[in-house]
Amino acid sequence: MGRHVICRASELQPGEVKIVEAEKRSIGIFNIHSDFYALRNTCPHKGAPLCRGIITGLVVSDESLQMHMTRDGEILRCPWHGWEFDITTGRSVYNPHRMRVRTYNVAVEQIAEQDPSVETYPVKVEDDYIVLYV
Amino acid sequence: MEVTKAPARRKRDHEKLFIVDTDVHHGSESWSDLYPYLSQVYAERLRDHGGSGPSSQYWHNGGDRGRRADFLDRDDPLESTRRQLLDDCEIDIAILTGSTANGACRMPDVDLGSAICCAFNDYTLEHWVASDTRFRVAMAVNTQDPFGMAKEIDRIGSHPAVIAIIMPGGATKPYGNRVYDPIYEACERNRLAVMIHLSGEGVGINGPPTAAGWPTHYVEGRMMRAPIYMAHMASFIFEGTFEKFPGLRIVNVEAGFAWMPWYLWRMDSDWKALRYQVPWVKKPPSEYVKEHVRVNTQPIDEPENERDLEQIIEWMHGDQTLLFGSDYPHFDFDDPRKTLTRLPDKLRRRIFGENAIETFPKLQPVD
Repeated sequence: MGRHVICRASELQPGEVKIVEAEKRSIGIFNIHSDFYALRNTCPHKGAPLCRGIITGLVVSDESLQMHMTRDGEILRCPWHGWEFDITTGRSVYNPHRMRVRTYNVAVEQIAEQDPSVETYPVKVEDDYIVLYV
Repeated sequence: MEVTKAPARRKRDHEKLFIVDTDVHHGSESWSDLYPYLSQVYAERLRDHGGSGPSSQYWHNGGDRGRRADFLDRDDPLESTRRQLLDDCEIDIAILTGSTANGACRMPDVDLGSAICCAFNDYTLEHWVASDTRFRVAMAVNTQDPFGMAKEIDRIGSHPAVIAIIMPGGATKPYGNRVYDPIYEACERNRLAVMIHLSGEGVGINGPPTAAGWPTHYVEGRMMRAPIYMAHMASFIFEGTFEKFPGLRIVNVEAGFAWMPWYLWRMDSDWKALRYQVPWVKKPPSEYVKEHVRVNTQPIDEPENERDLEQIIEWMHGDQTLLFGSDYPHFDFDDPRKTLTRLPDKLRRRIFGENAIETFPKLQPVD
């Protein structure tokens, strides 16, 4: 399992996705309401670059057949054929138990770094980084 | 049926096939037959000004004015139906799907249309149903008048022989539209199935029979039958009608069935892509079809190799969804003795009888 430091957490704002290459895989990292998730950037249907799809919510119906948007920002709609996936689990909406996209662990870790802008004295800066485990 | 020695044929069991015929046409001989069941106002109007106008733009039909040439006993259609169909073809249950009242659904005058439906229903019960215990009825409804027809369904829907309503293929809105909900509520209340039969496309108040415009010939019109049912079925499923009326059963009559596998695949595929626009659709459309929708066999589809029918029937879950219909007495009548004869006996029993028993609530044995 490889550990990959991606970027500062502040560089990926809520609602944004960052697509990276790690161990020859294209992976999308999502910030949803300040929690981070990672999905394989390949739709299990036809291989589309899934993570370039539309980030939206789950449209549901109540008993009187009125529709409502729920879970805003947690659903990814594939750019090719519109299949919906739950970003937080990788499971498809239409058949969550049998159709899913691969997920990866992602964490926010404090990492100390030499500040290259300060030449005279060695200084360490602590900051939050997004770390992907593949 | 005799067992032949040809090796390609399957051995047949000799048990008599229980046959439900889901499409037997009946009618009144003339408008005057309905006068006793109409108010004086409408009886006089029909007498003085004629009936419901053209029954079809393609009135020439096939055969001899639509009928098979050897089924031409016009003096007594009731007796010839009993003899030629029920006796000779050993039909156990024949569902009368009418014809006379079809025009009611496309007349500009809604009240007259409804009056004709009610009168024809009374005529059917008194003249046809009373004559033979094998008859059941798909009662006429005027689809333009959902609230009026809910009352009509409550009026005669509890009659033991009334097991369904029948609506024409031609409509001003497809049948999943909410305007029809009072009809479906009444059907659920009275345990009636909903049958749809081709009729009235491009006639009267209805729009053109295809989105590609007006066909020229009758045979062209026959080619648009499946798309009419596709439009109604998509409407039922994607409007959420089966979520609102879980007891509803739909039977599509007289458009064949070989188109069904493609249609089920297409609906399931598009639902995966567009589910979010119709979130009340809770499962793949093919699942709704298996539960709620049936098609009948007529006119029988004829692939180049007849054996391929078995594969098509498997793809459409025909052991549940396919019901036999003869279309007596029309020219393309399918004789049950000569229809789907290559299928295994078990599947034939499903298609010719068991599926229908499971589809029509009032054909099911009472506990």
